[in-house]
Amino acid sequence: MSRMQDGGPTAGLVAGGLVKRYGRSAALDGFGLSVSPGEIAGLVGHNGAGKSTFVDTVSGLIRPDAGRVSVAGIDALAHPRQARARLGVCPQETGLYPRLTVGEHLRLFGALAGLRRAALRRAVDRVAEQLCLTDVLGRPAGLLSGGQRKRSQAATALVAETPVLLLDEPTAGADPQTRQALLAVVAERAAAGAAVVYTTHYLPELEELGATLAVARAGRIIARGGQAALLSGLAGTVNVRFDGPVPGQLRRYGQVCGVTGDELRVATSDPPATLARLLAAGAAPVSIDVSRPGLDDLYAALIRDSAPASAALPG
Amino acid sequence: MAPSGTAVRLAALSRHNATLMLREPGPVLSRLIMPLVMIVLLRPLYLSALARHGVQAGTVQVVTGMLVMFSLLALSVVGTAILTERTWRTWDRLRATPARSGELLATKALPGFGMLAVQQAEVLLFGVVAFGLRIADPILLAAAVLSWALALLGIGTALGATLRSQSELNMAYDIGGVLLSALGGALVPLSVLPRWAQAAAPVSPGYWAMSALRAAVAGQAGPALRAMAVLVAVAAVTTALGAWRITRGWARSTHL
Repeated sequence: MSRMQDGGPTAGLVAGGLVKRYGRSAALDGFGLSVSPGEIAGLVGHNGAGKSTFVDTVSGLIRPDAGRVSVAGIDALAHPRQARARLGVCPQETGLYPRLTVGEHLRLFGALAGLRRAALRRAVDRVAEQLCLTDVLGRPAGLLSGGQRKRSQAATALVAETPVLLLDEPTAGADPQTRQALLAVVAERAAAGAAVVYTTHYLPELEELGATLAVARAGRIIARGGQAALLSGLAGTVNVRFDGPVPGQLRRYGQVCGVTGDELRVATSDPPATLARLLAAGAAPVSIDVSRPGLDDLYAALIRDSAPASAALPG
Repeated sequence: MAPSGTAVRLAALSRHNATLMLREPGPVLSRLIMPLVMIVLLRPLYLSALARHGVQAGTVQVVTGMLVMFSLLALSVVGTAILTERTWRTWDRLRATPARSGELLATKALPGFGMLAVQQAEVLLFGVVAFGLRIADPILLAAAVLSWALALLGIGTALGATLRSQSELNMAYDIGGVLLSALGGALVPLSVLPRWAQAAAPVSPGYWAMSALRAAVAGQAGPALRAMAVLVAVAAVTTALGAWRITRGWARSTHL
């Protein structure tokens, strides 16, 4: 893959103090997010948390009331067109021309990004191959399957190798093939140096991408960091089932989640160590289910009580 | 020398918008064919109504009248081209590219302008070839056609950018097109309209189009230029309104 259009220490995406109000409600309320070149930042949060408003603001579709945005070193509020030239944007809602073919879409968005002739042809062929669209390049978008539409939409954002990518729920409702193809391309672009903002509700995707996390709530980021750092300290669970009632000497382990009949459930920040202690204490289970804390647990914990969680977690 | 980024974008967008129009040729074709049919069918009626002014008067009335009426109806092609960008959610996709808003608007309008110009030229040519329409000042007439096409483009842009759905747009074009045509004297000569309608006629852009076209055909530069100035003013105001509405963005519209 060729080198990205921009690089260096000032590249990537830097946004801070973004405020956007609609009447009395704030869609963005001090939203800040920085993404380094080569980093994939998973932006998660409930609907209405400000994710799409943030994407629209960086894209130049919405003018914020306050704040700053820098795209690959360009002040996006002072020079929006120059900033957009360094952005690949895949919005949440599919926006394709039903009667234009996939190839026509890719050539249009490639040309608007500044690609011409042979470079444009190469870029179209490459992204079509990466996203399994080669066979449908001549098919109108209105005749595509749902997965093909998703991939075509993403391809229009990826056809030019821009240094910053904004992908707003690109796999929502997508089939496994689409999901895998998209994740592979996103990972490749990040490996080539692109700064990627990837919003999603599918948290396992972010684990697969090795993304850092940014959790949004009520128009601001309430937690930011690497997955390992954010997940440390969160409880996993050890579920142990016995052939009969839970032995009395083990009941003290079950104080957090409790004991129900033949099952002991223990919440712990270190499930393997807890299991080892249970077995050492004489447990003879018929089945064991160990689950480590995941992004869903983090997400739930942060959303349940954002203020204490954000204070306790590394930002 | 390699073309600039602006030239590449303009070429890509122009090709794109022309392709969009050509992929759905039905509305364009009907607006090109219908005025010719109506001229043939209605000409005897107009000749009879204006018999005391001579054959040429009836021919001028039917040709310019049908031209104005069907070009007003052709506004739907311009407005729909803009409105569908909203319903397809593609306009914000274009806005998120390096293209300037002006580039997006100009290239969106270009195929519509071409269609309107072709339609008017076709109707006038048909009048000349088939019914001997005499044009005293072709250059003045071309200027009148140009100014009317600009006004139509502005009105179409403003409606396409302001109205909220295809049904609203259809209603505006169907009712507005016929109303403005009738009030402007395109359907029947102004002289046979009621006095209140004659007094209200200058409100209709169709009135100024009829005035500009008739005066240009007759070679009367003064009245033609005066009417053209009004049409250009209408074009400027409506284009500004449409551009203002479009560049504000409508991504979160709840009406579509």
